[in-house]
Amino acid sequence: MAEPFQLTDEMKAAIGKANDPVTYEVTTQGIRLFARAVGYRNPLYFDETYAKSKGHPTLAAPPGYFGVQVWDPRRGNAGPRRMYESPFSRNLNGGTEVEPIKHAYAGDTLTAVTSLADLQGAVGRLGPMLIQTTETVYTNQNGEVVAKTRGTGISY
Amino acid sequence: MTTEWNPTQTYWDDIEVGHEISMTEETSSQRLVIWAGASYDFYQIHYDDNFAKNNNLPDIIVHGALKGMFVGKLLDEFAGENGWIKRWAVSYRGMDPARDALTVWGKVTRKYEEGGEALLDLDVGVAQPGGTQTTPGTATVRLPKR
Repeated sequence: MAEPFQLTDEMKAAIGKANDPVTYEVTTQGIRLFARAVGYRNPLYFDETYAKSKGHPTLAAPPGYFGVQVWDPRRGNAGPRRMYESPFSRNLNGGTEVEPIKHAYAGDTLTAVTSLADLQGAVGRLGPMLIQTTETVYTNQNGEVVAKTRGTGISY
Repeated sequence: MTTEWNPTQTYWDDIEVGHEISMTEETSSQRLVIWAGASYDFYQIHYDDNFAKNNNLPDIIVHGALKGMFVGKLLDEFAGENGWIKRWAVSYRGMDPARDALTVWGKVTRKYEEGGEALLDLDVGVAQPGGTQTTPGTATVRLPKR
């Protein structure tokens, strides 16, 4: 069996660091499309009049929905800044944790700051691999934290 | 098809350890395309048969994140209007080929009060029709008290 992947000095130095903030837009159409895909039936996520009747300012976002990144062809699929060079090209989504704190609403602009919580070199069925754990904090335009997420990514 | 929405609120007092919740989710290619558009995840292994087969997959596969959000919906409907999901976490341990109906489930493992909140811990997961578990996880939900 192959040896576990050894972290580079650049990788070790990146642990604990925050990446650049990313802007997400939460819109009525985005909320409805997400809620439809996931199969929600609650009108809180579809009907603004209903949402207001329940004391909300407008359509609420279902738990785990933070809108989508603003698409701009000048940036394309650039994504967040690469925090370290990696020899691996293939990635698997290893898992997700969501801690909803407040509702996000249609019209919100969320700022997401992702920190590299941990990096581990390992070896598995797919050979040497790198396990990346990130933590993201989503803050709305009023400075309120709406959610925290934790993600695990596996590169091999 | 239309659906009415007349949920009844579940109360913490009425739930005991061992209580089970579940729902069934179809995973048609159409649904995965709707999810791709909603999530901006346009990786072709989720909707392009030829692309999936050229990547040594038996068929297009369900997005891991969609399975995680199925669990979120199960918990959101369980918590109801006056409850709240404190957290949920799932691991993506295996791929689910599309087109099958997946069972999304939860089971209460602990009932307690903490910081003035009435809480339940649950084990959660997603099961294939044959019973294979691909997406194990845990959750904590706050429910109102009577």
